[in-house]
Amino acid sequence: MQTIIEFANTIFSPLINLGAAPMMFILITLFALLMKVKFSRAVEGGLKLAIALTGIGAVIDILTGNFAPALKDFVKSTGIELSITDVGWAPLATITWGSAYTLFFLLILVIINIVMLLMNKTDTLDVDIFNFWHLSITGLLVMYYSNNLFLATILVTVLGVMKFINADAMKPTFNDLLDMPDSNPTTTTHLNFMLNPLIMLFDKIFQKLFPFIDKYDFDAAQLNEKIGFWGSKFAIGVYLGAFVGLLGQQPVQTIFTLAFIGGVALELFSVVGTWFIAAVEPLSQGITNFLSAKFQGRKFNIGIDWPFLAARPEMWAAANVIAPIMLVIALFLPGNGILPLGGIIAIGLTPALLVVTRGKIMRMIIIGTIMVPVFLWSGTAIAPFVTETAQSVGAFPAGLESGALITHSTLEGPVEKFIAIIVGRLGESFTLKNILIAVGSLTAYIGLFVWYLKEMKKRNAEYARQKEDVDAA
Amino acid sequence: MIKILAACGAGINSSHQIKSALEEEMKKRGYKVQADAVVIKDITKEMVEEYDIFAPISKPKFSFDITIPVVEAGPILYRIPAMSAPVFDEIESVIKKMNK
Repeated sequence: MQTIIEFANTIFSPLINLGAAPMMFILITLFALLMKVKFSRAVEGGLKLAIALTGIGAVIDILTGNFAPALKDFVKSTGIELSITDVGWAPLATITWGSAYTLFFLLILVIINIVMLLMNKTDTLDVDIFNFWHLSITGLLVMYYSNNLFLATILVTVLGVMKFINADAMKPTFNDLLDMPDSNPTTTTHLNFMLNPLIMLFDKIFQKLFPFIDKYDFDAAQLNEKIGFWGSKFAIGVYLGAFVGLLGQQPVQTIFTLAFIGGVALELFSVVGTWFIAAVEPLSQGITNFLSAKFQGRKFNIGIDWPFLAARPEMWAAANVIAPIMLVIALFLPGNGILPLGGIIAIGLTPALLVVTRGKIMRMIIIGTIMVPVFLWSGTAIAPFVTETAQSVGAFPAGLESGALITHSTLEGPVEKFIAIIVGRLGESFTLKNILIAVGSLTAYIGLFVWYLKEMKKRNAEYARQKEDVDAA
Repeated sequence: MIKILAACGAGINSSHQIKSALEEEMKKRGYKVQADAVVIKDITKEMVEEYDIFAPISKPKFSFDITIPVVEAGPILYRIPAMSAPVFDEIESVIKKMNK
């Protein structure tokens, strides 16, 4: 046994010691080759990932280097303890793809997909390999607390299975929302839709108590046009930079610098984000080729990234309206440490609102507002983990003073992050209290999901009836 | 040169896949094509008018009418050649009609 471990160490230690970017360059390239991707395409993917990791580090450096001191003054002059920098989704995704465990969780999820398809437990073939990082970061969170790969794998497996079931359950709603014919196979397994059960709970309450609210629905497309560029990434970066500068009582020159750096950072995060999605692209194609060859002839839905839903203007209108509300909530919410910046346009929240309410814009805004604290608390809770992981993959400025934290204010799967923390704490020490908390919260989480599934089945039966009526007419 | 506007919800993932797939395939088929990828949210009437073809991930609803040909490009994202072929064919037939 000892010799095996020593042997593994002599092979892997030099690789790990190289640092995250070189290590992932080598691993992604090898993994793609294993999936029979052409050599040049495999290397292209590996290099892009290394460049993305390095690039994200550089942008975080620019952002936190300038914002961290100003945020400190902001806290001093306002007394509001919001010192965690909100870097949005791209750095978190990159950091997660900078961990070799992500490839392990990826493998687990592909196996789950194959097994569920073989057992006819799902009709969804997931080709959105890139977004597997959402479950990987949840698994990494478990390991941050417990260093227990077994527990992390179990949680990832449970959530993975639930996501496939959810993708099937939402399919008729997607057809309805986007006017897609039944022959269109588009669906998604994205983690953001695991918030559907909680949203549906509130939606039912509204249905019972305040049904009149729907009368105030407005034309979302027109609102979006009026908002125009004022709601674009760089503009939001500029406002928030100026906001921090003003309240932090910085000199005029610094206020301008913060405003423009905010704009630059938000734009650059998504530019670097595109590199790194491109990096996973050859691998995704390889896995898809493998899977579709395996299931030749079988009819299935295909799981892609969520943005096909963005065709509905309500999604943007809700995100635009919720952004300023989130800023105000962040200022006053007890237990929140985040000043929203990179994640203030809550695209991790509004697609789920759209699916549950089916585009009822007033409900989307009100229930969305109720959900904001869940995201802020979750983002605050994972900040130490995110910061430490960023440091370990070398995507965090070394010169920054200790205590500076980063996170994402609207990271998809806020409830799952709490579950991961609870499971992680259980792994850290198996006390009776921790066991009870874990069993209790998992029961509540899965119970709510089962109730939601029942409701979705009712909804889908209704869709089927409507179609029969149309066919009969 | 045919200019195509690809669009999706985040302007990061799906629209970039559409952009590179269209550029690559149309080049293979012998057309000069240049595509840009944007967020649906940021699209304005003026922006659309600078392009020859609009290739969104799925049918978006705007407060204005789109006056250029629209080809839904979502199926490209399934990564399965048999499913993306009809999108490429439709783009090709639109380009042919333009006589550029």
